[in-house]
Amino acid sequence: MLDFAIYCLTIVAVWSVLGLSLNIQFGLTGLVNFGQILPFGLGAYAAALAAQAGMPWPAGAALGLAFAVVVSLLVLLPARRLSQDYWALITLGAGELFRLTALNAPALGGADGLTVPRFADPHLALACALALMAAAWFMAHRIARSPFGRMLKVLREDEVLAATLGRNPVTYQRTVSIIGWAMAAAAGVLYAHIVGYVSPSSFTVTETFIVWTALILGGPGSTLGVVIGAAAVQLLSVSSRFVAGWIDLPADVLANGRLALFGLVLVLMFLFRPQGLIPETKEVRDAERH
Amino acid sequence: MLQVLLNSLVYASMIAVIAVGVALCYSILRFANFAHIQFAVVGGYLTYSFAAIPGMPLPAALALSAVATGLIAILVDFLVFSRLRDITPEGKMIVSWGVALFLRSVVAIIYGGGARVFDLSYDVVAVGDAVFTTLDALVVVVAAVLMLLLHLFLNFTRVGSGLRALASNADLAVTRGIPGDRLIKLMWFLSGALAAIGGTLLAFETRLQPNMDLIILLPVFAAVTIGGLSNVFGAVLGALILSLAQNLLIYIDFGALLGGESWQIPTQFRDYVAVLALVVVLLLRPRLSPLAGR
Repeated sequence: MLDFAIYCLTIVAVWSVLGLSLNIQFGLTGLVNFGQILPFGLGAYAAALAAQAGMPWPAGAALGLAFAVVVSLLVLLPARRLSQDYWALITLGAGELFRLTALNAPALGGADGLTVPRFADPHLALACALALMAAAWFMAHRIARSPFGRMLKVLREDEVLAATLGRNPVTYQRTVSIIGWAMAAAAGVLYAHIVGYVSPSSFTVTETFIVWTALILGGPGSTLGVVIGAAAVQLLSVSSRFVAGWIDLPADVLANGRLALFGLVLVLMFLFRPQGLIPETKEVRDAERH
Repeated sequence: MLQVLLNSLVYASMIAVIAVGVALCYSILRFANFAHIQFAVVGGYLTYSFAAIPGMPLPAALALSAVATGLIAILVDFLVFSRLRDITPEGKMIVSWGVALFLRSVVAIIYGGGARVFDLSYDVVAVGDAVFTTLDALVVVVAAVLMLLLHLFLNFTRVGSGLRALASNADLAVTRGIPGDRLIKLMWFLSGALAAIGGTLLAFETRLQPNMDLIILLPVFAAVTIGGLSNVFGAVLGALILSLAQNLLIYIDFGALLGGESWQIPTQFRDYVAVLALVVVLLLRPRLSPLAGR
């Protein structure tokens, strides 16, 4: 039971990093990334490839981060200065291309995927995951509080206003994407070493929207909210195996029921509590005093 | 070469029928509705279920499925989108994914994960060195008739003009007495019904499975983007261009072209063309896109 709790906590920490990464992209900056699973998958596959080549894990981690940064710049190239509809389409397409490549390229293991050496000690895995989460949290928090972060919020609310303040939106969006994607890639590297294998079925569009559900549930723009959202979503996911024991349902029905619930949560949050469980604290300075 | 054209035409027909619904919705409500893909999946499965009723002819099952899916689209709008008309387009896109996730999971729960195939009999026709089936011909004819009817409806009826007015300037249209809410319901019905027919045609040609949404997602949105999101007939043209590009890429023997061993791009990579086309279009014509000036 304790082992299971440790596993749950580890998974929650990893997905929190993924959520925090999406939060600085969408919650702070307003970038609609429908391919959030892509940097995560890049990190995971980099870890796997490095392990296959007999390299130690730091090499895989470095490779993962490098992949994520390069690919984020590539994806940004056509997406820059486009409206968010197109941004969403480009990132979605890039994510799907990655999955198709992994599925069809023999070097990436095809549908069977690749195996990765697991953490020998689950406590160590938990410690690493928590450390990464703490780092991501710290970074997200620092960004949100910095002048850079305030400019991101300006950008989110009104791109033209940001431009009139002499700031180039594209530069900001690029920086945010690189940071966000590197975070997600780090989570991916860790995830591969925790789970012990990577396969294309772990990196579908659906996974992207599980992260979105966590973000919308917790509250876009709110660091604490996103972690709570990720915890709620992932605990629901892992606990569904207990539910399967209590009520006699086939595993696939349960898995789909869980996804249906996530879809429902996403819609209901938008309908009844768009600010999320933990709303973003709006900084109001002198605005109301006059 | 004729074979490439034939294959492109068949594939484009199915994609176009689904894609026009996305463009219809975008032109009037100004958001990319990702749940639209699920309408196609739901429609395919509903046709399958209706066809399983003893004594039900397949065309009737298809018609019933189209009507039912159109009503589902209206219901989704009533429950979700109509309450969120004022939020940002990004918000609507995200919500549409929530709806998509829900619909896809419900379909998978009801029908299970296994593939289902329509039991159709058809003949093979040879034209020169190219072959096609009577089913292919049927798919193309149905799609062409539907597109023609849609064209006539939008351009030569009062209701159609109302829809176009709503698309070009919603506030003005409503001020001039056009019943916006009713027309929006009609738009949802049309796009749902068309998606159901497109999804069924696709299921006729391939098979029904819950993850067929992932197979059509990129081609449909690439086709709509090539045509310029809010342009209904641009979507048809986009589907044709995309389909031709995809089939040509697989057909061309790159190895022989470069003077080496015969080597062709594996079929699985046709979706790369969809994304590449998307990227190329966005690079070349961001200023022409309907939202660039927003």
